Amino acid sequence: MSDRRVIKPFVGERSALRKTLVAAALPVALFAAVIVQLTVVNRLPLPGGDAPDLVLLLVTAVAVCSNAMTGALTGFAGGLAIDIAPPVTHYAGEYALVYCLAGYLAASAVAAISAASGGAERDPWVSVAVMAAATAAGEAGKAALGLLLSAPDVTDAAIKHVLPGAILYDLLLTPVVYWLVARVARLAQPASERAPAPVFIDARRLASVFRSASAGAAPNLRLAGTGAKFSDDRPPRREPNLRLAGKKSNSFARTVPGTTNSAHLPLAGGRATKLNFAHSGPSVRPGYRTGGSALGAGPLPAGIARPGRTPKLNFAADKSAIAPRRVKSPGKGWLRAAGARSGASIRAGTETGIKTGRGKAAASGRSPSAGWLRTDQHRPVAPARRAAPGKGWLRPARPPRANWYSNGPSSSWIRRSRSQARWRTRRRSLSGSLLSTVRDLLPTGDRR
Amino acid sequence: MLGARRTRSVLITLLIVAIALITIDFRDGGTSGAHSIGGRIFGPVERLTGDVTGWFRGGGGNAEISALQKQNDQLRAELAQAQVSSQDAAQLGGLLHLTGQDGYKVVTASVIAAGGAYSDTVTISAGSSDGIAANETVLNGDGLVGTVIATTLSTATVQLATDAGATVGIRMARSGQIGALTGTADSFSGGAPLRLTLFSASASLKPGDELVTFGSVGGRPYVPGIPIGKVTKVTTEPGSLTPTALVMPFADFTGLGVLGVVVSK
Repeated sequence: MSDRRVIKPFVGERSALRKTLVAAALPVALFAAVIVQLTVVNRLPLPGGDAPDLVLLLVTAVAVCSNAMTGALTGFAGGLAIDIAPPVTHYAGEYALVYCLAGYLAASAVAAISAASGGAERDPWVSVAVMAAATAAGEAGKAALGLLLSAPDVTDAAIKHVLPGAILYDLLLTPVVYWLVARVARLAQPASERAPAPVFIDARRLASVFRSASAGAAPNLRLAGTGAKFSDDRPPRREPNLRLAGKKSNSFARTVPGTTNSAHLPLAGGRATKLNFAHSGPSVRPGYRTGGSALGAGPLPAGIARPGRTPKLNFAADKSAIAPRRVKSPGKGWLRAAGARSGASIRAGTETGIKTGRGKAAASGRSPSAGWLRTDQHRPVAPARRAAPGKGWLRPARPPRANWYSNGPSSSWIRRSRSQARWRTRRRSLSGSLLSTVRDLLPTGDRR
Repeated sequence: MLGARRTRSVLITLLIVAIALITIDFRDGGTSGAHSIGGRIFGPVERLTGDVTGWFRGGGGNAEISALQKQNDQLRAELAQAQVSSQDAAQLGGLLHLTGQDGYKVVTASVIAAGGAYSDTVTISAGSSDGIAANETVLNGDGLVGTVIATTLSTATVQLATDAGATVGIRMARSGQIGALTGTADSFSGGAPLRLTLFSASASLKPGDELVTFGSVGGRPYVPGIPIGKVTKVTTEPGSLTPTALVMPFADFTGLGVLGVVVSK
């Protein structure tokens, strides 16, 4: 069990075969245990007249090496076999009941303990201890059920004599049986070792699922995620920014004055230019934009950085807000452009862009506004815009067909996503998703 | 977790099935169809395994030995019958209406499996297809072993006389007093596994007294005259109405090999 985490991605076929073989070996082992118990072990003239219960040992060993379902089923099958096999010693169903409970409880206890200790690994000593306890409890359960049904053989004196000896023999055999069963069970384990391989597949699947989930769950995500909704090229593209501007509380108090040409702090003005430009679109004349930019004459990169990030944060907090992607890319790109140059050059570039208009945007190619315009010009077709709507501003070099999701969501993105609870529901609904796969590696039990 | 919920529902289903099985078997007194199904499934395998283990034990595998064993059992049964006939045939015949009997037929079989810790039962390698039915006497060369309590097609379950649920009617070989013999829970310790209770308060008991089966109507579950064992310790308590004693059986219950089943003729 110690090499459980070894990643062997290419042993799928063999391990599946092994798993099948081990699964098929279980009924055979049970049958053999019943026969050996009845024909050999019960006839051994052991000191004290007691005998170990091989079937109970096998059931508990299988239980602690597998899960609760297997434990319960194995226990029921083994107990029923002992019940109905020829020497009629007790009522049919007695041992099935006891062994079924013993197997289930043993598996659940091991799962709970390993979950409490926090590791996917199962400590063999814990397993042996649980197995011994379950075996002793099974022996006691047999006696208790016999008493309950007033079986003539199960008297107080008989229990006093039989029970300690039987438990003692069982405890002596516990490590041996556990070792054997764990060894066989390990043959089936490459299948679970293979589990890291599905992680990669699931990461991709998670991306697509995320895409569809965001399309359905959050309208703001839809724009960035699915091209279909995005097909309206310009107006929908700007409206989010408009909405963002309206929703903003603190930052936009500063932004609006910037648009209206009133004198304000340079920092606020600088940001206002950009946001206004984005949101107002055709309805706002270039002059306002230029004026805003001129007013925000010296936007410091460090100062801008904070407002630039604000939309993202707001997006994360606001459900009905705008697509994260849309907000994020312009903000980032703008910041980067601002950081690369001095405040003066930004101003110059913006002014140039405005003056020269669309055709000469190349001159101020790194200016945000100009870049946006140029993107429009070079790719007039909607699909091209759709491919990289936001990045087009600043990073046209990015492969145009590349989807934002093609690499899967970054961890920071996931962290930033709106609500943890929503993620959990999404994640849980996917049987094969990354996290449930990881959880499948853990021993199953009543952990949730 | 979804799996845990499913596991729990499966567990509950299994428990309900088990309780239903117990209930049915309890109603039928341990003779429900489940046992016959189990006999069909496990019986042949147990016979095979029992033959193998018997071969390893060196006893049952040899054909000559088993033939002699069978002859011995047959003679033992006939001797018991002859003794009964000669000693007090009239008395017993009048009592039990056994005068018309002309001997027993013995079917031999070997022990192939044994029950769990609490019950003293064994499985023998002959069943209803060999003519064995429930409540037939089982003996070996030493003496009484027990009675058949259940049969399947190829196997039969024998309740040993030492089982806590077994009661055998006995007659003292010397005094002719009658009594009852029950198994005790102490049978595991290798001591005297049988407890004798005589019905007559005035009867005398002393260690070394031998006892034989008293017999039942029709020879079921015990035919008369089979030797059982001898008294090892008188345990009559002061003030008790009936004498009691511990009895050591002649048969070695820990090493049973070939058994004979007295089949009614």
